[in-house]
Amino acid sequence: MNTSDEKIRFDAIVVGAGLAGAAAAMVMARAGLNVALIERGQKAGGKNYFGGAIYTHAIGEVLPDYMDRKPPFERPVTEAGFWMLSKDGGLTKMTVQGGKLGAEPADAYMASRAIFDVWWAEQAQKEGALLIPKTTVLDFIRDSAGQVIGVKTDRAQGDVYAPVVIVCEGVNNLLTQKLGLIDHDLEPAHIALAFKQVIALPMDTINARFGLPDEKHGLAASVLGDVSLGLPGMGFVYTNNTSVSVGLGMMLDAVVEYRLKPYEVLQRYLRHPAIAPLIKGGQLMEYGAHLIPEGGYRDMPKLFTGGAMVAGDAASMVNALHWEGTNMAIVAGKLAAETAIEAHKRGDFSAQTLSQYEARLKDRFILKDMKQYRNFSRFLETHPEFMDAYPSFINDALGQFFSAYGMPKKTLFKNILGSLTSRRQLFKAVGDMLSMGRAVMGW
Amino acid sequence: MFHALVAVKQVPDTTNIRIDPETGNLVREGVPAIMNPYDAHALASAVEWKRKLGGKVTVVSMGPLSFTVTIREAVELGADVGYLVTDRKFAGADTLATSYVLAQVIQMIHEKEPIDVLFFGKQAIDGDTAQVGPGVAVRLDLPIITYAVKIRDIDLAKRQIIVERKTERWTEVVEAPLPALVTCEKEIAEVPFAPLPDLIRSLRYEPEVLTVDNTGIFDAESIGVRGSPTVVFKMGTPPLPEPGEKINSREVGVEAAVAAAFAKAEAAGILTSVLGGVK
Repeated sequence: MNTSDEKIRFDAIVVGAGLAGAAAAMVMARAGLNVALIERGQKAGGKNYFGGAIYTHAIGEVLPDYMDRKPPFERPVTEAGFWMLSKDGGLTKMTVQGGKLGAEPADAYMASRAIFDVWWAEQAQKEGALLIPKTTVLDFIRDSAGQVIGVKTDRAQGDVYAPVVIVCEGVNNLLTQKLGLIDHDLEPAHIALAFKQVIALPMDTINARFGLPDEKHGLAASVLGDVSLGLPGMGFVYTNNTSVSVGLGMMLDAVVEYRLKPYEVLQRYLRHPAIAPLIKGGQLMEYGAHLIPEGGYRDMPKLFTGGAMVAGDAASMVNALHWEGTNMAIVAGKLAAETAIEAHKRGDFSAQTLSQYEARLKDRFILKDMKQYRNFSRFLETHPEFMDAYPSFINDALGQFFSAYGMPKKTLFKNILGSLTSRRQLFKAVGDMLSMGRAVMGW
Repeated sequence: MFHALVAVKQVPDTTNIRIDPETGNLVREGVPAIMNPYDAHALASAVEWKRKLGGKVTVVSMGPLSFTVTIREAVELGADVGYLVTDRKFAGADTLATSYVLAQVIQMIHEKEPIDVLFFGKQAIDGDTAQVGPGVAVRLDLPIITYAVKIRDIDLAKRQIIVERKTERWTEVVEAPLPALVTCEKEIAEVPFAPLPDLIRSLRYEPEVLTVDNTGIFDAESIGVRGSPTVVFKMGTPPLPEPGEKINSREVGVEAAVAAAFAKAEAAGILTSVLGGVK
């Protein structure tokens, strides 16, 4: 029994055993630090959900021998790309397979977070980190100068002390706000609500319907077009071993403004003539939803303060167009951990020392990409035609191009052009392409 | 110094369990394992009394090594020591063999550190027999108080315990000399949200493992399948009762529907007996 004057002390505290948190705990524990990994769910990842597929470059960066540790992956992503749905039931597929996507281990694997995150946190525990589940961090303990020196939890005698705290609390960034690193609550216009169904189907059925040779091949597709009622949003399709994950994400403010019921929007999408046959006869295994911080660079909090750093969704580390987020979380968790290790060496946990974390993020793809894509979320808000007009146009254009109507080709091309201009004036279309370039390239 | 012993069992969470319609067996696959809820409340009561009187709570569980998580949960809830009684030779035990093994282990612990009160859940939610607690009491020749809802007092000086127990008609207040065995209803104590130091201790806690060989206290004829005379002939789900007759008040009107229902009840002899009771 601990008496109340015995403080619980660690070398470092990580809040949240998701992808960022467990990565941070893993790296610090490996360096010999005594790490507490505090998780509010029953299990690591108990509160987590994604589309999804997970990128291996980030896993390998933290855990080079990850493939020997039997990660609970589903199929590898051997085919990826865009699907475009039109309102009249058409589907244009623009996917790539093989080539770089045929490498082994694959660039990405489908996974279920409820299973993957448990394994991921186990790797941190194997390095010696102590996973403390069923415990919610409510606030911070500070010294007289305001430096963070620990956390307060929801349990009796629940104060835990450490000179450095890495906050990986996820999208609901209450603690990041308590640190004073961001001065406002989440904004519905910058948050996507993603929801999906996992539908069980026999392995052979999945192979046949998605044109996959065997269970060693898998498809991950972003679905554009007639998915989200013309509102900013994107759908997705992922093939697991014996189930298919289908869903979509929409901006939360649109869901609220139009009083949409997510399951109705999802049902509508799943009844699209191109989607329905893919999941026909399957058994619904799971229905779930989660928020995604898609505000991008402009929504990122300050990333550090004296004694604390923030990583992952809590820091808005998401690249919505490329479905990146899990990889950023893992690498950011690692970089925060390396900064904490360095701080321990110096015995200095001041904001100045921890500013190294931001410098490390700037050196890597994380802050580079976040900055380059800083206009992307605004771009989608102001360009609904990318959700609506263009995917329908592409279906139309290809449909006409590959049909023989017994008419001169000059008329055909005129018709194709007409199917564009009926949807969007030509000069506006050129402008759209330019603003897309601007949003993606960061011009 | 108060010494409480609590027997805990790991059970499948029967709130979401299914029964295989073909075999009649429980489908345990994918069902989370939990500490038997009645045992958790019994443990919570033991820990409350430990905090009042000062002393120690010892937990005993019999089952495979995977029951370690249940021992850890007991430590999280305030147990000081946990024994896991585990051996392949115990497999297939019915309540007779189980109560024998537990009685032998408890006797061994008692000889080292005398026990004042033995806390059991009133029954496990998987088997629902409510036999193991009483079985242990009989084997150890202890006073047994079943279906306890409140422990009014444990007096270590007078060596007595006063317990309220629930029966179908009333609450009995029972006094017994110590050591005594109590089987507990959920009302006995609230399961606490553990303090952080207890949770942290539990995460790395390794139970004391007791086997047939490392104790040498078990008679081979009394354990496992050989010590278990119970044979399950058949398991199944009871058929759903036939639905009763419906009188649609929208068709016949509310008053006519009520009158018809009363007439039926009277004809069946239900109504007179109810009214007779009220008079």
